[in-house]
Amino acid sequence: MSRARRACSIGAAALLLLGLRMPPVKGALEATMTAQMLLLMPLLFVAGALLRAALPARIVPRSAAWDYRGITGLVLASVASVFWLLPRLLDSAVSQPAVDAARYVSIPLLIGLPFSVSWPRASFIVRGVFLLECVATLFRMGWLYLIWPHRLCNNYLLDDQQRLGQYLVLIGLAACIAIAAKLLWGRFDALAEAPPRASAQH
Amino acid sequence: MSALHPDNETLTRGEGLVLNLYVISALAVVVVMMLFGLIMRMAQGTWINVPPDIFYQLMTAHGAGMVGTVGLASSAVMWFFLRKYVRLHVAMFAANYVLFMLGALAILAAVFIGGYAGGWTFLYPLPVHSMGVWSVNSAALFMVGYLLIGVGFLVFYLDAMLAIIRSYGNLGRGLGLQWLFGGDLDKTHPPAVVASSMVVIVNSLGILGGAIVLVMCLINAYVPSLALNALLVKNLIYFFGHVFINASIYMAVIAVYELLPRFSGRLWTVSRPFLWAWALTTVMVLIVYPHHLLMDYVMPHWMLVMGQIISYTSGLPVFVVTAYGALANVYRSGIRWSVPAQLAMLSMFGWAAGIVPAIIDGTISVNQVMHNTQWVPGHFHFYLLLGVLPMVLALMFHLIDARRPAGGAVLRLGLPLYLLGGLIFVGAFLAAGHVSAPRRYAAHLPQWVPYDQVGSIGAILVIVAVLLFATYIIVGLLGAPGNATAHAAR
Ligand code: HEM
Repeated sequence: MSRARRACSIGAAALLLLGLRMPPVKGALEATMTAQMLLLMPLLFVAGALLRAALPARIVPRSAAWDYRGITGLVLASVASVFWLLPRLLDSAVSQPAVDAARYVSIPLLIGLPFSVSWPRASFIVRGVFLLECVATLFRMGWLYLIWPHRLCNNYLLDDQQRLGQYLVLIGLAACIAIAAKLLWGRFDALAEAPPRASAQH
Repeated sequence: MSALHPDNETLTRGEGLVLNLYVISALAVVVVMMLFGLIMRMAQGTWINVPPDIFYQLMTAHGAGMVGTVGLASSAVMWFFLRKYVRLHVAMFAANYVLFMLGALAILAAVFIGGYAGGWTFLYPLPVHSMGVWSVNSAALFMVGYLLIGVGFLVFYLDAMLAIIRSYGNLGRGLGLQWLFGGDLDKTHPPAVVASSMVVIVNSLGILGGAIVLVMCLINAYVPSLALNALLVKNLIYFFGHVFINASIYMAVIAVYELLPRFSGRLWTVSRPFLWAWALTTVMVLIVYPHHLLMDYVMPHWMLVMGQIISYTSGLPVFVVTAYGALANVYRSGIRWSVPAQLAMLSMFGWAAGIVPAIIDGTISVNQVMHNTQWVPGHFHFYLLLGVLPMVLALMFHLIDARRPAGGAVLRLGLPLYLLGGLIFVGAFLAAGHVSAPRRYAAHLPQWVPYDQVGSIGAILVIVAVLLFATYIIVGLLGAPGNATAHAAR
């Protein structure tokens, strides 16, 4: 990666993180549960992914030895995400500075960064399992938020929680359609290597 | 290598080993599950005394075990033939086997140690309302078993997807969608690739549905205050269950496309109607499941209407092109009626006849009377026992055919016994359904008992035939020289 691109990525990540800490932006993105989960957290994830460029050049190839097919990194990102799917943490992140800080550190460093390092290494099968689990999680979380009879967070109202549920289900549906369409009609130039082994012959 | 066993079917040692594991395990499990079935049928027929809790455990194990094993064995058919055209990884095929076995262990432990007896369909809220018969933990273990099996199949399908995409560009091209409306149809495009493309699409979506609903049911098991919408759960379970069991016939049918031509000496080539049939079925298999919910009056009306209409049309296109293709393939071909060829033709009959009761029961006005009667096991045993299983057996006999061509006892005794026993067995279910004997009842009224007894006799004949087949195949696979499959040359 060129130095300029590297500097750009690091700069963008830093700006994004700083921007997300600015009180008006942070306030707006934490005002609703929906915005926190569907905007603030994904943006923190993006900041982490941009930080990949900040890693010293030697580290990424070296990490491959303990990140077989990207599995370690994707498992780390998944486990860390599980915490940030818990409504209780979403709630505490708004009112408790320590949890807030943990969120700003852990989402970029434990989810965005490992994901961006490991995804390119992941094989088709690892990606497939990961994506299916992500889509299933979107549906499950959406379903849970839709049917949970009480408010899960002190800071957010029930209608917000249910709206988030609807959006999660819709995003799950959209992801499902997009992945299916890609598999059916998309281009996979990077994968194409072997022509058919044989045609119908018996 | 002969035309019967072309070079590109040769198995490496590792491949032969894994395939043998599939075949032998599938045969062993099918025999055990059939014995469970016989015990149930004889208990209904008052020939033996089985306490109801044990009956429902056996019913649960039989349903889950048979559906899973038929899926596993059909995936072996798909793997064996698909790998001739695309590069599959035997490690993924083996991973599916290992995960399947772990899942099966969890299910067996849940049923026979934990006492779970809520049926293979784990319909909510039954698994968590056992009235003390089994614990929440055993219901959960049963569901975890399904999750493991689902992951195994997913890995296998992803490998097949990758291989098809590598060779053909994408799954649409594997299905031959580019030739639906015109273009130069490549007649050498293998039917096995078309069928496999369809299966990996629909069953991955089925597995997604299963992954969602299973985890939700698991959450509910431990957080009961979180009530699920029973209708939504039922929709998802039947979406997943129907797609899974349906996909088994679409994997297994590859054996017919591949094997019949060997004996008839005529190629089975794709045509535009063939591609249309598979494309339409890809969509219809996904939306046909509401025919399982025709009794649920709270379902949106349009879904029930769709369930009825699609029930009429869903299986039909692929069945018509396959049955027509099979007949055209053998007509005046001077075919050699070896065991795999006979099994392939038998499967056409079983498939054809087996969907007739299904189509009748898929009609809303009929369903209101026939649903939950033994008519339903009559239908699915028909097409599974006489349709899908013969396809799978055709592959198994093909594997040993070069070294130990089945004849004699298998031809003269086994096949007629299987057919006769199968017809008596499913006929008894259908007839019992016709007089409204309910399904899933451990104890029957005296009026229904004669049907149960006739059904048991049919089942015994089937089991004798399957034991003969299984012994023949297993001895053939394990026999000298070497214990890889017959044509494992390397
Ligand atoms: C000799 C062979 C078989 C026998 C004796 C047998 C017997 C039975 C019996 C007695 C039942 C319960 C019927 C009722 O509801 O009253 C049943 C259900 C079932 N069988 Fe079989 N069966 C045999 C083969 C098969 C095969 C080959 C398959 C699948 C490939 C299969 C799949 C099922 C399924 C899915 C159920 C439904 C279980 C439920 O209702 O939860 N069976 N079988």
